[in-house]
Amino acid sequence: MSMTSNNQGGGAGMAIKLQTSHFGEIQVSPEEIIEFPAGLIGLGGTRYVIVTRTPDAAFSWLQSMDDGELAIPVTDPWRFFDDFVVELADADADRVGIEDALDQAAIWVTVRAAAELDDFCANLRAPIVVVDGTGHQVINQASPAPVRAPLFSGLQEESTQAA
Amino acid sequence: MLIITRRPGEKIMIGDDVVVEVIEVNGSSVRIGIDAPKSIPVYREEIWDAVRAENRAAAESQVDLLPDDLPTRTTTSPQ
Repeated sequence: MSMTSNNQGGGAGMAIKLQTSHFGEIQVSPEEIIEFPAGLIGLGGTRYVIVTRTPDAAFSWLQSMDDGELAIPVTDPWRFFDDFVVELADADADRVGIEDALDQAAIWVTVRAAAELDDFCANLRAPIVVVDGTGHQVINQASPAPVRAPLFSGLQEESTQAA
Repeated sequence: MLIITRRPGEKIMIGDDVVVEVIEVNGSSVRIGIDAPKSIPVYREEIWDAVRAENRAAAESQVDLLPDDLPTRTTTSPQ
């Protein structure tokens, strides 16, 4: 981890310089930081930022602010899965702080990249919900919501297996 | 591992805020009620394990495997 603050002088907040293994040095303004009170499941760190390399990129990265080497590709699930649905258990909805309306939330799903396009998959079972700068990885109760949904392999085979 | 014998209706306290109650025992299955502060997520272990494995696998993804011009399924414009 290597992180230094840098006063940009006259800006809204102090931009933070973060040394990352994937993107080199990036500048993050404090308001872009997403707090994950419970972290991501099984991964360290409670502060992340979304790194998008080009404006309309299919994939963005959830870059840890606490560990410059930790970054997870994410995508907008509806970009690949038209019929994607998120249903939260009451406890999760409570934790996220929204009742049933997810419309004010940004929803991402993690992506596992691979050498072959056929092996790319997204985790529809545990989407990441971001509301007002706070993020939670939740368990999607909708069915089917596979942990590994192929992103690119044949249209006929997609999303058939629940985890 | 701490092992405690409990009957249906009896509870276990984990710290001051987490209550685990044995609701019902039926053959080889046990129904358990968990009352925890909402800041503490509660998972079935096999789901937690699968998601943790997937998060870790996703974190191994290399940038050069994710060029920004990969096709997306909803793209309607001609290639």
